[in-house]
Amino acid sequence: MSLITETTARPAGKLRVTRSRRNVAWTGAGALIVVVVLALLPYIVYSGTTSIIVQAFIVLTLASMWNLLAGYAGLVSVGQQVFVGLGAYFVLILAIHGTSPFAALPVAVIACAVAALPLWWLVSRLRSGYFAIATWVLAATVMLIIERFSSIGGGTGMPLPGLSGLSSVLLTAYTYWAGLAVTVVALATMYLLLRGRLGLVLTAIRDDEVAARSSGARVGLARLLVFVVAGAGCGAAGAVLAISQLQVQPGAVFSVQWTAEMAFATIIGGLGTIEGPIIGTAVYMVLQQTLASYNAWYLIILGLVAIIIALWSRRGLWGLVDEHLHFRLFPVGYWLWPEDVSRPSRLLSRLRRSGA
Amino acid sequence: MTSPLLELDGVTKRFGRVVIAEDLSLAVGTGDTVGIVGPNGAGKTSLFGLISGDLAPGGGEVRFAGRTVTKLDAAARCRLGIGRTYQVPRPFGDMTVFENLLVAAQQGGGLRRRASYTAAAAALERAGISGQANVPAERLGLLQRKRLELARALATQPTLLLLDEVAGGLTDPEVAQLVEIVRGVNAEGTAVIWIEHVVRALTPVVSRLICLTSGKFVGDGDPATVLADPAVREVFLGSEVTAALAGGAPEAPAAGPPDGAAGGERSEP
Ligand SMILES: Nc1ncnc2c1ncn2[C@@H]1O[C@H](COP(=O)(O)OP(=O)(O)O)[C@@H](O)[C@H]1O
Ligand SMILES: [Mg+2]
Repeated sequence: MSLITETTARPAGKLRVTRSRRNVAWTGAGALIVVVVLALLPYIVYSGTTSIIVQAFIVLTLASMWNLLAGYAGLVSVGQQVFVGLGAYFVLILAIHGTSPFAALPVAVIACAVAALPLWWLVSRLRSGYFAIATWVLAATVMLIIERFSSIGGGTGMPLPGLSGLSSVLLTAYTYWAGLAVTVVALATMYLLLRGRLGLVLTAIRDDEVAARSSGARVGLARLLVFVVAGAGCGAAGAVLAISQLQVQPGAVFSVQWTAEMAFATIIGGLGTIEGPIIGTAVYMVLQQTLASYNAWYLIILGLVAIIIALWSRRGLWGLVDEHLHFRLFPVGYWLWPEDVSRPSRLLSRLRRSGA
Repeated sequence: MTSPLLELDGVTKRFGRVVIAEDLSLAVGTGDTVGIVGPNGAGKTSLFGLISGDLAPGGGEVRFAGRTVTKLDAAARCRLGIGRTYQVPRPFGDMTVFENLLVAAQQGGGLRRRASYTAAAAALERAGISGQANVPAERLGLLQRKRLELARALATQPTLLLLDEVAGGLTDPEVAQLVEIVRGVNAEGTAVIWIEHVVRALTPVVSRLICLTSGKFVGDGDPATVLADPAVREVFLGSEVTAALAGGAPEAPAAGPPDGAAGGERSEP
């Protein structure tokens, strides 16, 4: 085994780096078709079905954000429900003041991102277990503060005004589209984030924080960014929740159950992969729909499934797919091509240029 | 005279009651090559931690490139030009080798896109792991992990390179190749501080040798002089260092070597 290969440094112009070894055009086209089909669904299926899918949208958005936090930035938050609650309450407050809840949604998302800054300041110096507990305490504290304001419903909450003008068919469809839009934007944001410079940094932090630091990675800054993005994403899910429930109750929107759901979906699907939360959400929704009538057994089975999958595969269900098929729906890696390999397809390079 | 590239000024560090740096002062100039030897547990790796920012000193000051960096974290110091390797390699296991180097080139080296690709590829080439560019780092064996350490430190575009026992476990021809790599890096103006038990790797490269024991420097200067120093010889009595210096057999085998002075690598996976 020789330590140096006898080659001269290759000229910079000849160096070829692509973002995937395979052609990702089919994934892109597939994702587009899925989104289009989902967008047309309210014309096809009953509103009972769309409302279940809205729940799935909420869980998927939450799981994707929790995946960014726990799977990449190493921030195991047990208090993400604080942003679900804040998102819901921002929509409620704006609606009380006459804004349409749908128009209030993007404002609530931005407000949650801003709210994440002081909350980050409070918890950022804590690590692992302490961080988890602090986020939980923080969520409970924020709920207790909000419950003191009777003008927004106090401890019992209040119905969401501003939607009575819509027919129930339209309301269901709009709610569904809002949920779809939030999910698509959340997934796209996560994908672009992980594909960019920050993605490399986050993956490095996930693998070895000490080495990431001594390789120049600004770990604190990366974590702050992820916390803000995750706050905004969970806020968006909370806003959709408020609209789909037509009411905001502090105990419901600030429930730790949201964090349990996002963690469950992420862990069974695959922590630290983009695809994991998608599979995890699908599995979670199926379990929830089939087991909902078994009450306590439902939670026990959910817990057992999570434990079995976690023991079986470190990277969840998607980890198994990746391990055996070496396949990624959303490639974020880099591929350095040896000089003698033929060029990738034109389509790929064009896609790269337009997507970069 | 211009200020040195790296300056330690009375740096002190303790872990509980174990003193690992006792009032250490050191100046390393631009493009200098310094070797550090010392028995296991002397505090060599910790000294690198104090320089790179992984460890905060209990007292004293660290200056680099004309700035006081004592309060800066490892990332900031890396961005200023301090690149380090770890004795026990710390690869980003789930990332490919090339991606490992991209992180270093983009974050530590401050390079963007193509410039970072070029720098990462150059570091790959230099460390001789081009063939493993797209292999997940966790699949590498120990020797290749050590090359990855070297490559990643190089990819940060350092002006000061800290090498922590990168030659351990290498065969003689491999050591010779490693020496050539380090010489090449140094020839481009990068200062090198190299911790090594394998003294035959150090002597062709370094112009200055420091012996560290129990957190104190006991010898500092021209390698031959330092290795001849009775105080240093005492530290290494019967070990490989004495043999390398004398060109003969260790003098007093009865005394026994200091704790694993020549076999530090054995404990690694
Ligand atoms: N994080 C730590 N906490 C407590 N003791 C430590 C720590 N790191 C190193 N030490 C101790 O400091 C001493 C010096 O270690 P080190 O710098 O690794 O020595 P060397 O690299 O010269 O073998 C050893 O006795 C080691 O056990
Ligand atoms: Mg050491």
